[in-house]
Amino acid sequence: MWSSKFRDPIRHLEREYFVQKQLRWVGTLAVVAALFGVGTAVPAAADRASGPRPTTRTTKLSGSITVSAAASLQEVFTQMGKDFQAENKGTTITFNFAASSTLAEQIQGGAPADVFASADGANMQKVVTTGQVTVKPVDFTANLLTIVVKKGNPSNVTSLADLPKLGTISLCAPAVPCGKYATQMFTQDGITVPSSKVTLGQDVKSTLEAVSTGDADAGIVYVTDAKSAGGSVTQVKIPASLNVLAVYPIAPIATSKNAALANAWVQYVLSPAGKKTLLKFGFLPVPGT
Amino acid sequence: MPLVAVLLALVAVAFFVLPLVGLIAHAPWGHAWDDLTSPTARDAIRLSVICSLWSTALSIIFGVPLAYVLARARFPGRSLVRALAVLPMVLPPVVGGVALLYAFSVNNGVIGGWLHDTFGIQFTFSTAGAVLAETFVAMPFLVITVEAGLRTMDRRYEDAAASLGASRWTVFRRVTLPLIAPSLLAGAALAWARALGEFGATITFAGNIQGRTQTMPLAVYLLLETQQGTAIVLSLLLLAVSIIVLVLLRDRWFGGLRER
Repeated sequence: MWSSKFRDPIRHLEREYFVQKQLRWVGTLAVVAALFGVGTAVPAAADRASGPRPTTRTTKLSGSITVSAAASLQEVFTQMGKDFQAENKGTTITFNFAASSTLAEQIQGGAPADVFASADGANMQKVVTTGQVTVKPVDFTANLLTIVVKKGNPSNVTSLADLPKLGTISLCAPAVPCGKYATQMFTQDGITVPSSKVTLGQDVKSTLEAVSTGDADAGIVYVTDAKSAGGSVTQVKIPASLNVLAVYPIAPIATSKNAALANAWVQYVLSPAGKKTLLKFGFLPVPGT
Repeated sequence: MPLVAVLLALVAVAFFVLPLVGLIAHAPWGHAWDDLTSPTARDAIRLSVICSLWSTALSIIFGVPLAYVLARARFPGRSLVRALAVLPMVLPPVVGGVALLYAFSVNNGVIGGWLHDTFGIQFTFSTAGAVLAETFVAMPFLVITVEAGLRTMDRRYEDAAASLGASRWTVFRRVTLPLIAPSLLAGAALAWARALGEFGATITFAGNIQGRTQTMPLAVYLLLETQQGTAIVLSLLLLAVSIIVLVLLRDRWFGGLRER
């Protein structure tokens, strides 16, 4: 069972997704249980956090925090921020959206962040290694890659194999998670695109813009970015068997001056309400949860 | 000289020097040469030299006549034209890049599609596009410097030449140009320095393609996350070249400017 999950994470994920759908009432039950204080929904995130932890919502949250989040989370986190602030009057959630690699560097450099949500484990691991995150990060959502092409698909792109034939391909820079995942996918599927045809975006949004606004013929971005882009680009789906799964971890930053609010935000993202918003924006549940 | 002025000036100097010290302190001196000669760095240096020189040349070819018109011709809307010509100086370069896209993009541009279909020219994601983006942000520096030179020069020399029978073109070539040469050099140097450091408009409009549009500032930004050493060495090279040229131009070649 474990080995099959390991070998084919996408298929596993899809199965999990349907199981999750069917078992939604179990989730509802868990919420009810949590409300009655039977257990906390997300113990892992706050387990070893040094700051005070809101075990019950009787301690009123206040103040403000800065959430450094992967660029691909821009739309969904903005929505969740609105929802969270509506529920918790007097709190302010400010976002800093950029490539996870840029964010990790900023956090290592002492940028004032209270929560870090990365699009890959590697950049989260960087700040764990340098000590800015002292709790175990929790995987909170997942994403898949997709091809985006000009509106209406004028070059008739049908699969990854068509990419080397096009003019300019827009990818994320190699240090940026979406670039790393794209490289991994190309290697795995035996696709070679010469670097003289590749324009590198600083984050997934600029990679997408090279196709939507600029003249790049195709780009590799997350499914969720293609969805948020609406009709400005056309999406060419990559089958699950050829795709790469991006898993997003989240963790509070140890030096946060408002650990209570930072932990509350992490818990909100992991809560059923947070998961529901993530699904609405096209994100996937983490396999095995 | 009041002591307060000296102290504040020292703070200003420290403000400029400290970041330089930071870069120098973090530079990987042990393998600086290997970093500078890595393929990414070599491509970026080559492109930066080519693009910045091209954009300086274009700035001179089109900027000097524009400055001349702004300084000498009287026509309605002149101040509007001048404002438009210096707009890129205050516009965020990224916005400039997006604006260039809406003008020259093959798919969305005002004239980009026509240029592509008629002449087969595509600026986006090409070296020509990088030159265009650099020229867009650099030319205003040349225009305002040259225009200032034209306004402060003594026009009686031109009148004298004209009264002796020189044609307008001869006056411009033999009298006006030599008189404004210091301004022209200063403007060209400023434009060149601005073009060399251009980032926002280039990455937005021309993309970030190694060997094609990835100039030194773009390479620095990209390498900061993967090969920090190379990024720092490239930054120092940019700095050294700019400082050398600016100091040389100011002290030696522009002596005439200070005496006036």
